[in-house]
Amino acid sequence: MNNIVYLLVQLLVILLVAPFVNGLIKKVKALSQKRKGASVFQMYFDLYKLVKKKTVVSNVSSWIFHVTPYIVFATAMAAALLVPVSTKILPPQIPGDFIMVVSILALGRFFLMIAALDTASTFGGMGSSREAMISALIEPSILISMFTVALISRSTSLPQIMETVQKVGIPLAHPVYIMVGLALLIIILAETCRIPVDDPATHLELTMVHEAMILEYSGRHLALLEYGAAVKQLVFMTLFVNILIPQDQLIGVIGLGALILSLLIYLLKVILLALVMGIIEVNTVKLKLFSIPNLAALSFILAFLGVLQFLILGGKHV
Amino acid sequence: MEQYLRNLFLMSVLLYVLGAAASALIYFFKKPYKTSMTGSVMVNAVCIVASGLGGAASAAKILLAVNSLKLINLSSTIPFISLEMNLDNLSAYFVLALSVLVFCVSLYSIGYLSHYNGKRNIGLFNLLYTLFILAMIGVLTSANTVCFYIFWEAMSLLSYFLVVFESEKEENTKAGTVYIVMTHIATALLLIGFIIIYSYTKSFALSANTAAIPGMAKNIVFILFLIGFGTKAGIIPLHIWLPHAHPAAPSNVSALMSGIMIKTAIYGLVRFVLCYLGVQNTWWGVVILILGILSAVLGVAYTSMEHNVKRLLAFCSVENIGIILIGLGVSFIAFALHHQIIGSLALTAALLHTFNHTLFKGGLFLGAGAIQYATHTKNIEDLGGLIKTMPLTALFFLCFSLAISAIVPFNGFISEWLTYQSLFASILPGHIGLNFLAVLAAAALALTGAMAAAAFVKLFGISFLGLPRSEQAAKAQDVPATMMIGMGILAALCLGIGLFPLTMIKLLDKVVFSVGGGSISGQLRGGFLLAYYPLTISVNSISPLTFMLALGVIILLAFIVIRIVGGKYIERRYGTWDCGFEALNSRTQYSATGFSKPIKIVFRALFRPIRKTIVEGDSQYHPEAIIYSTTVTSIFEDYLYEPVYRALLRFSRRTKFRVQTGSIHNYLFYIFALVLLLMLYNRFA
Repeated sequence: MNNIVYLLVQLLVILLVAPFVNGLIKKVKALSQKRKGASVFQMYFDLYKLVKKKTVVSNVSSWIFHVTPYIVFATAMAAALLVPVSTKILPPQIPGDFIMVVSILALGRFFLMIAALDTASTFGGMGSSREAMISALIEPSILISMFTVALISRSTSLPQIMETVQKVGIPLAHPVYIMVGLALLIIILAETCRIPVDDPATHLELTMVHEAMILEYSGRHLALLEYGAAVKQLVFMTLFVNILIPQDQLIGVIGLGALILSLLIYLLKVILLALVMGIIEVNTVKLKLFSIPNLAALSFILAFLGVLQFLILGGKHV
Repeated sequence: MEQYLRNLFLMSVLLYVLGAAASALIYFFKKPYKTSMTGSVMVNAVCIVASGLGGAASAAKILLAVNSLKLINLSSTIPFISLEMNLDNLSAYFVLALSVLVFCVSLYSIGYLSHYNGKRNIGLFNLLYTLFILAMIGVLTSANTVCFYIFWEAMSLLSYFLVVFESEKEENTKAGTVYIVMTHIATALLLIGFIIIYSYTKSFALSANTAAIPGMAKNIVFILFLIGFGTKAGIIPLHIWLPHAHPAAPSNVSALMSGIMIKTAIYGLVRFVLCYLGVQNTWWGVVILILGILSAVLGVAYTSMEHNVKRLLAFCSVENIGIILIGLGVSFIAFALHHQIIGSLALTAALLHTFNHTLFKGGLFLGAGAIQYATHTKNIEDLGGLIKTMPLTALFFLCFSLAISAIVPFNGFISEWLTYQSLFASILPGHIGLNFLAVLAAAALALTGAMAAAAFVKLFGISFLGLPRSEQAAKAQDVPATMMIGMGILAALCLGIGLFPLTMIKLLDKVVFSVGGGSISGQLRGGFLLAYYPLTISVNSISPLTFMLALGVIILLAFIVIRIVGGKYIERRYGTWDCGFEALNSRTQYSATGFSKPIKIVFRALFRPIRKTIVEGDSQYHPEAIIYSTTVTSIFEDYLYEPVYRALLRFSRRTKFRVQTGSIHNYLFYIFALVLLLMLYNRFA
C-alpha cells in the first residue's frame, strides 16, 4: 500500500511541478528585464503544442536518435522515483541510493550525447563534446557532497539521509552542511544547464551545450527531452531542499494531513529555490567555456571541505 | 563428488592439449590453406568444449566442493621441480573467468581468423593460442612457486609471440620488445621474491607457513611482488607496455590479454600477498590504494585522448585495473586492521570488478577486432556510420560501452557500487588519514566513471554514428555470425550480471570467505530471480531489475500518453540542419580530436599537447590547404623511462670501451679477480 501511494505521490508531484519551476525561473528573468513575460504555466502549453506537431528526423540518423528521447525522459523519471519529495510517506525499502541516481542520470546523458552525434551535425558534436567535459568535471563534486551527508547518516540511501537531517535542527547553520549546500548549488546550475555554465534560452555557438545537443529534435521527441530536462532539474532541487532545509520534523503525526502539509511546504521550498536560481541567473554572466573548470573545482573544493570538517569533527553524527 | 569434478577439469585441460597437438600437426605439415582452415575451426571448437567443461568444473567446485581439488601431483627427480596443481576457490574463480572468455573468444576466432586466409600459417597461431590458454590455467592452479614461475614465464613468452604475430609491421616488433623487456623485469623481481621466501621457509609450496619470515623481509617481498605483478597488471607508472602491445596483437589475443592475462596479476596479488604472506602492515594497503587512484585517474585521462581504438581500450584497461586496486587496497587495509567484514566487502568488489572487466573489456576488444575486420582500420577518425552496416556489432559495442562506464543496468555499475560501498564502510572514526584517502578514492572513482563515459561516447559516437569518414567505412559489411555470437554472449552476460548481481556475488562470497575468512553473506539480502531483486549492503540497497522494469513501464506510459494526446506519429525525413549552406558532408562532422579537445585543454598540464599547423599556399590569408596535427606527450615515457633508457645506453657505451674491451688479457683478469673475491668471501663469511 505504502509503495503505491509513494509511487503516485512521486509521479504526480514531480510531473506536475517540474514544468512550473521552469516557468517560474523564466518569470523572474522577465520581471528583472522589466518585461511582463510569459505565464508561469507556459511550459505546459509548449509541451502540448510540441506533442501535437509533426516530427522531423534527420535522414542520417539511426535508431539511437529515436529511442533517446524516451530513454532521457524515463531515466529522469526513474531517478525522480528514488528521491522522495516527502518523508511522510515512504516505502519499506527504496530500490536504489544516490549512487544509483547518479548512474541512472548518466544513462540518460550517455544516450543524449550519442544521439547528438547521430545526425552528423557539427552543432550536435559541439554540444556533446562540451557536455562530456562538464559532466566529467562536476561528477566528483556530486559524489563527494552526497557522500558527506551520507557519512553523517551512515547510509547512502536517500530516505535515510533525509530522515537523519531532520534531527539536526537547522542544517544550514552547520559548517558541514553550509559547504555541501554551496557545492550542491553550483552542481544544480551546472547539471541543469543554467547560466553561468550554459544558457537555456539560446543556442548560439558560444553558449550551446544542452540546446545544441537537442537542436535536431522536434515534435514529440523534443517535448520528451524538454520534459526530461525539467524533471532532472527538479530531482536536483529536491535533493537540495530536502537535505538542507528539512521540514518533516516540524509536522508531528503521520497521516494524510501530515503528508499534504509536508507536500505544501515542499512546494514552497522549491518555489523559493527557483526564485534564488532565477536571481542567480539574472545576476551572473555566462562564463566562457574554459572557466567552467574553475567553477567545478570550486564546487569540488567546497564539498571536500565539507567532508574534511566532518572527519575532523570526529566523524560522529552531527 | 570431488573426484568427479577433478576428472572433469582434467578432461578440459586434456582437450586444450589435444587442440595444441592438432594445431602443431597443421603447423608442421603446412597443409594447403583449405585444410588448415578446417583444422582451425576444429581446434577452436575443441577450445570451446574445453572451456565449457573447465568453466562448469570451476563453478561447480566453488558451489559444491569445500576442499581444494588436487589436480596433478607429479614429482620429478630434479630437485625442487614437481608439477603440483591445485584448484581451490580462488583459482576456480579466475579459471571460471578465463573459461567464459575463452569460450566466447574461440567462437569469435572461427570467423575472425578467416582474414588470415592464405596469408599466414593459422596452425602456428592456434598452437600459440592454445598453449597460451594452458599456460594461464597453469598460472592459476600452480601449487608451488617453482611451478607458478615456469607457467608465468611461459605465459609471458607465448603472449609475446602472439603480440608479434604480424611481425612484418615494424611497430609490432617494437611493441613486442617493449612488452618483453617490461615483463621480464617483472618476472625477475618475482623470482627474487620467491627466493627470499624460500630462504626462510625452506619450501616452495604455496601452503607453506610464512610466519617464520621476519617483518622486514616480508615488506621487501611485498614491494617486489607489487612491482612484479603491478607491471603485468599495468599499474601506472609501469603501464607503458599495454598501449603498445594491445594494438599490435590480433584482436582475439588482445581480448585474452586484456581480459584475463593482466588479471593473473590481480590473482597473484591476492594469492601471494593476502593468502600466502598475510597482510601485515596497513601501509601495504595504502600503497595499493594510492596506486589504484593514480592508475584509475591517469588511465582514464589517457583513454580520452586516444583515437586508435585498441590503444584507447588498452589505456582503459589501466583505468580499470586502478578501480580493482582501489577495492583491493581497501580490503588489504581492512584486513590489516582486522575489520573482516569491510575487508571481505572490498575484496568482493575488487574480484567482481575483475570478472566484469574480463567480460566487457574482452567484448570491447572483440568489437574493435570486428571494426578492423570490416574496415581495415583502427583509427576512429576514419570511421563513422557503422551502425547502419553493422547493426548487431554496434548494439553489442554499445552494451559494452555502457557497462564499462559504470552505468545501470550493466555489470560495471554493480562492482563500482560495491567499491563505493566498501569505501563508504571503511570510513570509521579514528583513522583520519585513511578516511581522507577513502574520500579521495571515491572522488577519483566518480571522475573516472564520468570520463570513461565521455571517452566511450566518443568511441561509439564517432565510429558507429554519423556519416562514414572514409571509403572503407562506407563499404563496411557486417562480420561473420560466429564473431557476432561471441560478442553477443559477452554482452548478454554483462546485462545478466547487471540485472541479477546476487547470482554472481553469492558465488563470489564463497571465494572471499575461503580467502579472507570473512563473509558478507550476512549483509546480503534478496532472493534468486525474484522480481524485486535488491542487492543490499547493510541498509543500502539497489535493484537494477526494478529500475529496468520502471524504465520499461515509464517508456510505455509515455508512449501511450503521447499517442493519445498527439495522435499518430508522423515523421518527415529531412537533411540535418545545415544553416542553409547545403554543404554538410562527412568532413563537417565533429571529429574525435575535436570531441576530446575540451578535456585536453582542461588537463593540458598533464597532456602537454603539441600542436602543429602547416599552412600551404602563397599567403597565409589564402591558404590552399591547412595541415593540422596534435599529439599528446606521454609524460611517463618521456620523463621517466627515456632518461633511464638514455643512462643505460650511455653506461653500456662507456663500458664497451673501458670494461668490455675485447682484449683477452682483461677478461682473464676479471675471472681471476672474481675467483679471488669468491674465495675471500667463503673464507670470511
